[in-house]
Formats: sequence, C-alpha cells, structure tokens
Amino acid sequence: MTEDENKEGIGGMANPTRYGIERVAYWLMRLSGLGLLAYFVAHIYETSNILRGQVGWNEFLELTQTTEGHIFLALVIAMCVFHTVNGIRVMLGHGGVGVGKPARPDYPYDPASQNYRHKIGIYSAILLAAIATMYGLAVMFGE
Amino acid sequence: MRESTIMKIHYGTALAAVALVAVHILMRLTQGFADSLEYESVLANYKLIPYAIMLELILILLSVHGFNGLRVILLELRQGRTYEKAVSYGCLAAMIGLIAYGSNTIIRTNMGIV
Repeated sequence: MTEDENKEGIGGMANPTRYGIERVAYWLMRLSGLGLLAYFVAHIYETSNILRGQVGWNEFLELTQTTEGHIFLALVIAMCVFHTVNGIRVMLGHGGVGVGKPARPDYPYDPASQNYRHKIGIYSAILLAAIATMYGLAVMFGE
Repeated sequence: MRESTIMKIHYGTALAAVALVAVHILMRLTQGFADSLEYESVLANYKLIPYAIMLELILILLSVHGFNGLRVILLELRQGRTYEKAVSYGCLAAMIGLIAYGSNTIIRTNMGIV
C-alpha cells in the first residue's frame, strides 16, 4: 500500500465505524457539545423575552411549549446527560484513572487505556441518557 | 494562557456547572414543569437574590465551558497561527457577548426594570 492510499485525512480519522465505541463516544461528545451550546444560546435568548412583559413571555412560551418543543427538549436532556457522564469519564481518564498501568507493548498491541472500564463508562453514559430522556418525556407529556 | 491551565478551567467549569444546573432543573420540578414556567413564577425566581446569583454563575460557567469547547473543536479541525488566533479571539468575543446579553436579562428582571 502506498502512502497516498493510506491517507484518508479527516474522513478517515472521523470514521465512527472503524475504531469501536471509543470513536463513537468521541463523535457523540462533540456533537452533543455543539448541540448543547446552540441550545444554551437559544435558551438565553428565549429567557430574555421576560423583559417584554407577561404578553411577550406568554407569546414565546406558546412557541416552545408544544409537542415539537417537548421532543426537542427531550433531545437536549439526552445530549446533556451523555455529555456529563462521558465528560466525567474523559476527565478521569485524563487524570490517569482507569487507564491501566504502563506496560511493554506486545502483540497484538491492544491499548491499555481502551479497556472494559472505559467501555462500561461509555455504555453507561448512553444508557443513562436514554433513561433521563424517558423520564423527561414522562414529566413533559404527563401534565 | 497555557493550554493545560485552560483545560483545568474547562474541567472546573464543567463540574461546577453540573451541580448548579442540577439545582436549576430541580427548581422546575418542585412545582410542576408547566406551572414553573408561568410568568409570575419565573419573575419570582429572578427576584430571589440567591437564585439570580446562581443563574449568573451558570451563565458564566456554561459560556466559558461552551465557547472553550467550541474553540477546541475548531482547533482540532485546522491549525495555523492566524486561524488559531481568529478562533480563540472569536470564541472569547462570543463568550463575553453572551454573558453580557444574559446578565442584562438577569439584572434588569431582578431589579424590576421589566
């Protein structure tokens, strides 16, 4: 294989199907982060409608307190919980927690840091996000 | 500022924000989700000084964390002296702008200038 054939650039790096759940978590972390930032900016704008008085506030509430609005908020809950739990896992990993002891690299060169502890952490983040989303939907549609 | 210091701030703001946002969400659930969004209820929240301070802290923590996160993502995609400076200062400006806009809402509502 020549060097050119081996180069896929950002596309190769970003491929979520090749490098296991860790690469999926990498993508979910960034996508949820961007989604939450967009929501945060929108939320700051949304709440600023209180300065327009009761009429302005109620007008904006009519736009957001709809079925679509609640489904969007459920997505925000999912992103928030995943980003939080996976973020704590990443912080612990950066601090050296759960990444294993340094050892001589032997065939088949499995990275010690990509172990079952961190895989459990990623799957837990996805599971907790799903549970929190269902709870959020129950609260929003249960009233 | 060194990147290691920026990452410590990134993690610190994340942990503090998680605790404060949890309180913010629990406040919505204590009186029923729909009721907590009524105009009088939201106004009463803003007029409560400790709650207004908490909202201001959440605003600062999440703005710092969010825009630094955006900066990190953009710097991962491309590098270069001019690009990195533009991204860093752009994110800083957006962060300051959002904090100023949000603070305006919190302060004016708290002081009854609605």
